[in-house]
Amino acid sequence: MKEKIENLMNTALAEVEQAQSVADLAKVKVRYLGKNGELTALLRGMKDVPADQRPVVGAYVNTARDAITNAAEEKEKALKEKEIEEKMAKESIDVTYEPTEVRLGSLHPCTLVKNEIVDIFTSLGFSVAQGPEVELDFFNFQALNIPKDHPARDMQDTFYLGEDMLLRTHTSPVQVRTMLDKKPPIRIVVPGKVYRPDDDATHSPMFQQIEGLVVDKHITLCDLKGILSLFAKELFDKNTKIRFRPSYFPFTEPSVEVDVTCSQCHGKGCRLCKGTGWIEVLGAGVVNPKVLENCGIDSNEYSGFAFGMGIERITMIKYGIPDMRILFENDARFLRSFR
Amino acid sequence: MKVSLNWLKDFVDIDVDVHELADKLVSAGFEVEEIIDKASQTKNVVLGKIVKLTKHPDADKLQICAIDVGQKETVQIITGAQNVAEGDLVPVAMDNSLLPTGQVIKKGKLRGIESCGMLCSGEELMLTEADYKGASVYGILIMNGEKYPLGTDINVVLGNDDVVLDIGVTANRSDCNSVLGIAREIATVLGKPLRMPEIGFECEAGEVSDYVDVKVEDAQLCPRYMAAAVRDIKICPSAEIIQKRLRSVGLRPITNFVDITNYVLIEIGQPMHAFDADKLSGSKIIARRAANGEKIVALDNKEYTLDDSMLAICDKDKPCAIAGVMGGNNSCVDENTKDIIFESAKFARDNIRRTARTLNLHSDSSFRYERGIDLESQRLGLMRALTLVYKYGYGKIAKGVVDCCNADLTQKTLRVDAGRIDDILGIVVPRDKMVSILNSLQIETVLEGDTLVCKAPLFRDDIENANDLAEEIIRLYGYDNIVETLMDKGKQTVGGKTDDQKAVDTIKNICVNNGYSETLTYSFTSPRSFDVLRLSADDPARKCVTILNPLGEDVSVMRTSLAYSMMSVLASNVLKSVKNARFFEVSNVYLPESVPVDKQPEERERLVIGAYGKDENFYTVNEVVRAIIDKFGLKVTFARSKRPYLHSGKSADIFVGKFPIGYVGEVHPSVAAAFDVKERLYVAELDVASVEKYRKKGYKFEEIGKYPPVERDIAVTVDESVTAAEILACVTSAGGSMMKIARIFDVYRNASIGENKKSVAVNMVFRLTDRTLTDEEVSAKVERVLTKLTSQLGAALR
Repeated sequence: MKEKIENLMNTALAEVEQAQSVADLAKVKVRYLGKNGELTALLRGMKDVPADQRPVVGAYVNTARDAITNAAEEKEKALKEKEIEEKMAKESIDVTYEPTEVRLGSLHPCTLVKNEIVDIFTSLGFSVAQGPEVELDFFNFQALNIPKDHPARDMQDTFYLGEDMLLRTHTSPVQVRTMLDKKPPIRIVVPGKVYRPDDDATHSPMFQQIEGLVVDKHITLCDLKGILSLFAKELFDKNTKIRFRPSYFPFTEPSVEVDVTCSQCHGKGCRLCKGTGWIEVLGAGVVNPKVLENCGIDSNEYSGFAFGMGIERITMIKYGIPDMRILFENDARFLRSFR
Repeated sequence: MKVSLNWLKDFVDIDVDVHELADKLVSAGFEVEEIIDKASQTKNVVLGKIVKLTKHPDADKLQICAIDVGQKETVQIITGAQNVAEGDLVPVAMDNSLLPTGQVIKKGKLRGIESCGMLCSGEELMLTEADYKGASVYGILIMNGEKYPLGTDINVVLGNDDVVLDIGVTANRSDCNSVLGIAREIATVLGKPLRMPEIGFECEAGEVSDYVDVKVEDAQLCPRYMAAAVRDIKICPSAEIIQKRLRSVGLRPITNFVDITNYVLIEIGQPMHAFDADKLSGSKIIARRAANGEKIVALDNKEYTLDDSMLAICDKDKPCAIAGVMGGNNSCVDENTKDIIFESAKFARDNIRRTARTLNLHSDSSFRYERGIDLESQRLGLMRALTLVYKYGYGKIAKGVVDCCNADLTQKTLRVDAGRIDDILGIVVPRDKMVSILNSLQIETVLEGDTLVCKAPLFRDDIENANDLAEEIIRLYGYDNIVETLMDKGKQTVGGKTDDQKAVDTIKNICVNNGYSETLTYSFTSPRSFDVLRLSADDPARKCVTILNPLGEDVSVMRTSLAYSMMSVLASNVLKSVKNARFFEVSNVYLPESVPVDKQPEERERLVIGAYGKDENFYTVNEVVRAIIDKFGLKVTFARSKRPYLHSGKSADIFVGKFPIGYVGEVHPSVAAAFDVKERLYVAELDVASVEKYRKKGYKFEEIGKYPPVERDIAVTVDESVTAAEILACVTSAGGSMMKIARIFDVYRNASIGENKKSVAVNMVFRLTDRTLTDEEVSAKVERVLTKLTSQLGAALR
């Protein structure tokens, strides 16, 4: 009897193993485990087994049934897996094919640079301020200590729209508007378009500036250097150094030109920096007390600093663009390279 | 400002190399734009003499020259020039020589005969007629008459033994628009004493009052007028050193008296003028405002009409000079002049500036007056001019000078707390350092307690307050001493962008994520752009701000829409064979209330979208517009647009309620044709301020509920003219609050539906938050929808 059971079990297990599909397997299961299956038949034949052997034979049968059931379950799982695999293999596609173009646009390189600069300063507590591009002479010049018929007006050729109306030549009128409007402490950055009648490889009649202004108690030239040094390290790289050279702007005193170590040669001297190791990137200075007074701020109590730079110029330095006019050509291929 | 090193050495000992000097000037605030060292540009070119000329055997136009260059053997050079003769002195570029043009000359063969160099023309040595007489002659430069021995370096012959510095002088340092001013700065940075210009002459021609009577009628425009007289003058070329120095800074020597006025202008910075004394009617000089319409022919031979805002230097009857700008022909010095009057004056700088601009007449003199002349230079300049006249024997000097001075010549005293300087700089500068720096700049300074008591010289009228002193101190103490601090004593502030600025960033990001690239176009445009856009004569978009001094007509007005700029960008890319492109820009338009503009125009930020390419159409371009509308939660309607630059069938104006906020559409084919493109171009514009104004503010939780939605689709036939918006409005209003979504998912046209008809399929989703909807409820709603579609839009259920 035991032998019979074992044989039956082995045959069944072999058939389970050989089943090629879930349907095949189902047939095998019916043949052995079904109502009229062979193992079921054996169980039914138990009544012919002597009573004392029944538990032993019963155990044999149960073991065999469990073994077949387990094997069938295992097999079924494997077969289903295989069927899914086959189905997926049939559905296989060429994953290297790109039927549609990626339609991602781009910000203008000048906007990328502007955003970077704005982010650095907003993280330092500066607010972003803006003002009109069509300005009055008072805000663009007079309040900034550039009286009418002053030679400093030659520093900035101007597009005029009327007797006292012009296209702003710098973003500095926003300093005046802010100081007239708000009480210190003031920390602003001002990005915006400005206009001067120049047109060549390094000048455009319209360009963008970003400038900063801090007015508070106890603000010094050292604070200006510290903030600009931090800024230069963020914008270029962490090894960037800055230096001050004396200069002149009517609205700051002392005034400085600020050079940064060349981002390409790191001070060794190359074509970009014309062999000097330094690149002039911005103008800055301590806010002229006359400007504070013009804006109703007590220059005995408050002091400040201001700085300004050309966004196009920084963009050209950062991305190695040789001619400013490229930035205004709006060639789709150029613009999309800044994705 | 160009200054010659040799000229500077008259006033200060310079014992450093010119490059080191330049570096020191830069760190003191004087940008050295160029170091012009002519001698280094010409090498191995010598003076030679042609001893023999023979014809080249194989070339008609070539001659073989034997040249004596002071060596044992003559040098053989072939020349093609025809203006040379035996015995001529010529510049000879020897084998391995360098010319200022950058050309290197080496020996070689010409038609088989060796040529060991080249004879040079004036042009090849980059000389003008002003540099050397005969330099402009076509052919070799003939230097007959030179006394230098043969073989002398041509730089010595030409006097190229000087180095010229081109220095950028900032607008606040008008005192440095002179050799003396620069020398003063150099003396300070090198720690050397300054030698003042040599002054000394004898007077032997009576009193100045015998020659001229000066009257200043407008003291405001003419704070100081000085004059001197010279008798029996001799007009001749200037001494060689004067000519050479004038040439070194780019001025052409003319005759001695003109040269002296120019020499003093460059050296002292004081503009001078010389009048022919006999031409001054009544022997009078009157500094007065011109009468309106008064005319003068200036030294440039042009007639100028003056007005009463201008100062004229007149005699008894007429204007003889436009003060500070240019002299008049009627009183100028010429070969018959016997006696002259020198003028050395200070005029109001703003007035000279206005006059020069009004007349569009600019001179070296007006340049300096505009920047400002100090009150000390008039006497120094006059004395210097008389010294030169005396030194070279150009005439007899009358005794005394006229000095009409209406200005305060006392030096102002400035008292500044030294601690205030430290507060500005952020470092503590030793007090003795402060005092010594200021004194080295001739700002007489003593320390009283901790207060700096300073007397600024008259030529430093830019020194007015503590900040000015701080700058003088730190530029010489050294900016390297400034340390880096981070506003440690300042108050912390909260930075960042305003909501409106953030909205612009959001709009830009949506555009970028939809495949659009940002452009950068000029704010100004051509007035003809309005015609290209087919705007009617009374279109409000023609009302624009005009630039009075534009760079050109095509950039002469401020744009009132971004459409034209975007179309130009699209067209330029089409013409560059770019197959498809998507662009956007956020920029201002400028909308004046009235023209001509009398107050600042309204500046409105606009978004413009542009696209073209075979896959683009109205709907693809509208996607990005709808994405922005969706992001800001705007409730908009689209209505057919009548804009003249858009395709009449494929364009829409966008409204929030009654307010137009933008448009989208295909560019009118005639407009595209005006840009020379056949492609279909698409543009859209949105008013950014309106997007911000009508935006949904913030977010609010809305319960979705756990009950399942019920979906129903219907298809109806309607007339072609019925719009999607009308159908959806009808469906939504009939659907009530339980209808959560209604959308058109198919539009179908077919002969069986009928001509001018279309079948529209609508998907509707119903849902309640508090219970499951019954089939009957939904069916009743759908019935209502159908009824309403039929009654309102003439729809028929398919």
